[in-house]
Amino acid sequence: MKTFAEWLSATFPSVYLQTHEAWMLPVIQSLHITGIGIAVGSALMMTLRLLGWVGTDQSLLESQRRFGPWLTAALYLLLASGALLIIAEPIRELITFSFWLKMTCVAAMVVMFAAFQASVRKHGQEWEQTLSKRRSIRIAAMLTFVLWGCIIILGRLIAYDHIWGHLSPATKA
Amino acid sequence: MDFSAFLKSLEDSGLASGLRGSLYYFPFIESAHVMALALVFGSILVVDLRALGIASTHRAFTRLSTELLKITWGAFAVSALTGALMFVTNARVYAHNTAFQVKMVLLALAGLNMALFHLTAGRSVARWDLSPTAPKAGRITAAASLILWLGIILAGRVIGFTTTGAQAKEAPVSTVNFDDFLNNAPSSAASSAPPGAPP
Repeated sequence: MKTFAEWLSATFPSVYLQTHEAWMLPVIQSLHITGIGIAVGSALMMTLRLLGWVGTDQSLLESQRRFGPWLTAALYLLLASGALLIIAEPIRELITFSFWLKMTCVAAMVVMFAAFQASVRKHGQEWEQTLSKRRSIRIAAMLTFVLWGCIIILGRLIAYDHIWGHLSPATKA
Repeated sequence: MDFSAFLKSLEDSGLASGLRGSLYYFPFIESAHVMALALVFGSILVVDLRALGIASTHRAFTRLSTELLKITWGAFAVSALTGALMFVTNARVYAHNTAFQVKMVLLALAGLNMALFHLTAGRSVARWDLSPTAPKAGRITAAASLILWLGIILAGRVIGFTTTGAQAKEAPVSTVNFDDFLNNAPSSAASSAPPGAPP
């Protein structure tokens, strides 16, 4: 990974982002944060609806149709802006414990969201009547809040990876 | 006490030096700030898109906004608190930072804009609650709200780029210097490579 990060940091787009246009990095980071705002907002709306805490004037399926595409779109924005951030600072991003732990959490979140989305579209009635009342599903829904919290914290900790001590590859570099 | 003495006293407070002295407080306060602002922006976006007639148009505006504004205000309280905690650690540098000043102005404008919404479209909400869009004044303030919040996010992020390494004169020596710590992290290989090194 270190070899890859070093190779990437010497490629033209990376060198360009490092040496030109100092305004681009904060702009890309702001887009990334905006994406997080949209994603967290949409995920929160769907999860709170699933738990029956807000938006009960619409069905689960309606809530999913309203917010699901926004979450998907936000995830693409996050992927694109995140990729640019990696290209701009390959070593700062890739050689960190926080980044890879964050990616693990992101993968778990994407799998849960995709499964939920597909299932609600297929079995809307069942979700409405029985599944949303099942304890295991409600606990899983609440766990997604924790997962989002971890994703955001780990994202910020990329800049402070040394706090992981020996777990951080950056301390060995 | 004048303003700069006040800022200095904030920096010298036990709270500020305690926060500076820990490796862990600042990153976690910053993370909480990002979480809170994601909720503020995410929830405001849902309400603004409803007012603009872009999304959730079949739902009553008051129902949606009543539910969401609780989240917005709760999250705003957390972001204000965490923001204040970060501010006191280096009060004079932040107070004189242009991006910070711009952010505070934008926040004030967002507050004014919200008041404008309540004074205009908010007054007649009973009449358009179920219609897909707010009246013109409501749509304009909703669009302004989105632009202001995007500006607040951008200005907030620029603060981090323009205050790193900045230290007020005769600022108290902190036990842990984050800037050293960040600069010690391997920086980009290409930019730190000596001239003439292979690309």
